[in-house]
Parts: sequence; C-alpha cells; structure tokens
Amino acid sequence: MTAREMARSTGVPAAASAARPGPAVHRHRTPIRHRLLLAWSLVGFAFLFAPIVVIVAYSFNTGRLLVSFEDFGIESYLALFQKQVLSDAVSVSLRAAGLSSLIASGLGTLAGIALARRPGGWTVWFVGILLLVAVTPSIVGAVALLPWFVFLGQDLGFGVFNDGIARLTIGSSLFSVAVVAYLVRARLIGMQANLEEAAADLYSTPLRTLRRVTLPLAMPAILSGFLLSFTFSLDDTIVAAFVQVSGTTPWPVYVLSALRSGLRPEIAALSTGMLLLTLFALLVVAIILKRAGDSTADIAKTMAGGS
Amino acid sequence: MRRAVAPGFALALPAWIWLAAFFVAPVGVVFWYSFGYKPGLFGTHANDVLSLDRYAEVLTPTFFDTFANTLWVGVLGTALCFVVGAPIAYWMALKAPARVKGLLIALVMVPFWTNFLVRTIGWLILLSPEGWLSSLLQDLGFEPLGVLQTRSAVLLGVVYNYLPLMILPLFVAFDRVGDVVREASSDLGGTPLRTFARVTFPLARPGIIVGVLLVYIPLMGDYLTAVVLGGAKGNMVGQMLASQFQTAQNWALGSAMAIMLVLMIVLSIVALGALARLIAIPVRARYRVDLMEEVA
Repeated sequence: MTAREMARSTGVPAAASAARPGPAVHRHRTPIRHRLLLAWSLVGFAFLFAPIVVIVAYSFNTGRLLVSFEDFGIESYLALFQKQVLSDAVSVSLRAAGLSSLIASGLGTLAGIALARRPGGWTVWFVGILLLVAVTPSIVGAVALLPWFVFLGQDLGFGVFNDGIARLTIGSSLFSVAVVAYLVRARLIGMQANLEEAAADLYSTPLRTLRRVTLPLAMPAILSGFLLSFTFSLDDTIVAAFVQVSGTTPWPVYVLSALRSGLRPEIAALSTGMLLLTLFALLVVAIILKRAGDSTADIAKTMAGGS
Repeated sequence: MRRAVAPGFALALPAWIWLAAFFVAPVGVVFWYSFGYKPGLFGTHANDVLSLDRYAEVLTPTFFDTFANTLWVGVLGTALCFVVGAPIAYWMALKAPARVKGLLIALVMVPFWTNFLVRTIGWLILLSPEGWLSSLLQDLGFEPLGVLQTRSAVLLGVVYNYLPLMILPLFVAFDRVGDVVREASSDLGGTPLRTFARVTFPLARPGIIVGVLLVYIPLMGDYLTAVVLGGAKGNMVGQMLASQFQTAQNWALGSAMAIMLVLMIVLSIVALGALARLIAIPVRARYRVDLMEEVA
C-alpha cells in the first residue's frame, strides 16, 4: 500500500503523509528503480552482444578448430579468398539474394499500392495470406517447398525448378513479398491520395500517374523493402537448407554443414564479413528512412521486418 | 466504383499468384501427404490409401515427448524473453535520454540482423567445455561446463535468439504511450507503480501482445537453435520433422508433424489467451476506474 492510499484509508490528508519525496518534485536525484532499470539494460545489452563479440574475436583464431583459440592472426580471412568453396558460397548467396529481392520488391510494391489505394472485398483474403506467410514458422514452409520443387521439376518437367539459384530465389522471396507489401502499404496509407487525384484531374493516364506520382511517393518504402529483402535472403538458412541443390550451396548452409564436419576459424571470418555487409545495407535503409522523415520508432518498426 | 475495384485486384494479382504457387500450394500438398503413408524403404510418400494413421503415430510417446518438450521450451522461453526484454524496452523508450534512443535501437538491431545460425554458434563457442568460459570456471575450481546438448542450452539459446524480436515491438509500444499521459497521471497524484499499472501498461498492452506472439510463434517452430545447442536431449519439433524429410525420407510422417506443429501453436495461443482473460477478470474488477469513488 502506498503512502497516498494509506492516507486515504486512514483519513489523514494526503499532503500530510507525503513525506516520501515524489519523483515529480525531486527530479535531480535519480530514483533507485531508474538505476536498477539502467543496470538491467546494460547487462541485457552485454548479453545481446556476447556471442557476436565471441564470433568476431574467434575469427582471428589461427588454430585448426574454431572452438579452441590458439593465436591471433588473419589467416582465416585470407582463406576466404583462397578457398574456392567459400567464395562460391558467398557468390551463390549474393546472386540468389539479388534476384529474390528484385522479385519481392516488384511484386510487393504492386501489392502494397493495391492495398493502400484500391482496397475492396479481396483485401481481407490477401492480407490474410500475407499474414500467414509472415507468421508460419519457416521450417513448415521449408519442408513444404522441397516436395513441391521435386514435383514441379521432376514430375512435371519444368527444368527451372531443378536449378539451385532459382530454388533459393523463390524460397527466400516469399517472406520478403509480404514485408515489402506491408511497408509500401503503410507509407501510402499515411499520405492522402490528393496528388494522384490531382494528376488524374490533369488528364494523366493511370499508368502515368503510377509511374510519376505513386511510385515516387512510395520510393523510400520500396528501397528499404528491397534492401531488407536482400538481407533476409542473404541470411536465409532454413528454407535454403531444404531447397538447395548440391553445387549451389549458399553460405549459411555451408556453415550448417561445417557444424557437422568440424567448425574452422574461417567460418567465423566468413560470418563476420557477411555481418558487415548486412549492417552496411541496414545503415543505408536507416539513412533513406530518416531522410523520408520517419521517427526513430518508425525506423525500428520497419527494420524489425514491419512487425 | 466497380471500375476501381478491378485494377486494384489486378495490381495485387502477381503477388497473389506467386504466393499461391509457392506457399499455399506446397503447404496444401503437405496437408495432403499427411494423410498418406511411406511405402517401403525407398518411397517417400504414397496417398492411394488415406488415413489418420500418421497423426496417431505422432501422438505415440516416441514423437509426442518432443511436442511436449517444444511446448515447454516455447512457453518458458517466451516468458523469460519477456521478463528479460520488457524492462530493457521500457528503459529504452521512457527512461533513456532521448538523444541516445537511435543508438540504442541500432544496438538491438545488430544482434537481430546477425545471422541466426552464426549467433547460435557464438553460444556454442562460449558454452563449449573446451572454451574460455569453461576454463575460467575450472581455474576457479568449478566443473567444466556441461550445459551443451541439454534442454537448458536450448532454452538459453532461444531466449537469446528471440530477445531482439521481443524488445523491438515492446519499445514501439512503450514509446507510443509517451510522456504526456504519464506525467498527467503523476501530476494527479499517481505513484510510479500506479502510473505504470493503470496508465502505461494498459496503453502498451496491444503492442505487448504483438511482441509476445512474434516471439512465441517462431520460437515454437525453431529449428536451428536445437540443431546447434540441443543434441539428442534438447530435441524440438522443428528438428524432428526436418529429419523426417532429410534423413528418414518419410514425407508422410513429416507432413503430419508439420500440421500438428501448426495446430499446437494455434491451440496453445487460444488456450493461453483464454487463460490470460480469465486472470484479467478479477484484476480488472479490482482496478476498475470508478470516477465517483475516486472523487469522493
């Protein structure tokens, strides 16, 4: 029971019993609970960074095994350039991520515009599917795609579905389509359709209005959606592990197989390199959104995949 | 208006077809396979005789134990994620200096965007019996770390892996509440605890529910954490159904497991939601704001 409630129940006026300094009055002394919150958060951030620091530190391990640190050196980074299998894995990932993010931002942008500007009876169903794609655990989508690609490629004879890059591209594009559609819709809904109406009044054709008015309005969302899709696809492990064809192994699947055959320090070097690439893409997203006038909380929302 | 609906649908059509072809259809096929069986050693699935036998098989102790284990890790992991993450999100949104907010968000983003598998391997290094943490403990006279390949390791792994996913929506939720109404509550005599319980928390509740669901759903379907840290003792459904497709080549049973996993997630959310409502009834009655009483 607090002082104020006690005062009420005992009939003593609240002001008389309020000897405890209230936070509103004494702002200059940080209350103990604020310091506890700060301490908790600092420990939390240390927890969040612990394994990442470990990976980066162990990427400079010169030993044979990743887990036991022997000496400091950059041999593992040199291996990235010398070992064909590593650069192949990165190249596969980059190609699939490029294609996948192009498809996702194309399809997602059109869907997002439709959702924001032309809602109708179909919207509920479509949003339902997007939501379903976004929340279904990726392991379910992954195990479903494997038999499906086998069916399309081998039973029906569509050769494209036997191609490793095509499989990876499709597999990692699905979640991204949902994210881009959501981002584009959110940005356009935040703006009135005035400009589009004005363009139509001035005898602009629908296609021209789309190209010259709507798309530029949605551009920050499209660009950040593209980059987010790129990083999603670059990091996609679960779907890729199921649909990949031997010969076109993306880098996370290579890491996964190294887990069974023995982790070497170059795995950490590879991971560090890819992390830097991802962070660079995200920095660009943040700059784009900041320029477009988004608040910090908005940017946080976008970067968490539109959640 | 009729004219306006048709092009709207048309713009969304490519995405619709794409998702129908590569999400709805394959998941539908898995649903179909789940009623079939594995014909002999080399076949993966057959559907000439339909039955619910695969579901019955999933419910036998061999496989059902893993489902129970997954539910345990899912519920406890989400709860721990909330306990660890909520104070951090609260501090970031409402107590941290405004000028460092952007930096703090960026700091949560880094682990969120570090490859899931890679950060789990980071824990593998940290927790390994030959790692530096273990040798430090041994120097201090403790046993070498033996937490790897257990359910505890998986629990630690999932709490870590999904923590950013908890912090970010909670941050947005608390940030939306803002200072204005909270200061109003304080000016009107609300103690910090009352302000939190009756202003901040109710206003942030929708965001909190979103955060909890965003962690719970993928956590239940987690595959990689269990693969890296769990071993045989820390098995989860994701890993088990994956092995039906990858090693056992029993697509029918694997499909039934996938459908059961989705069912378990949906049913457990409904059950936990109902439970939360039930608990909320007396609490709400206790804290109901009655204007007349407050004035008196």
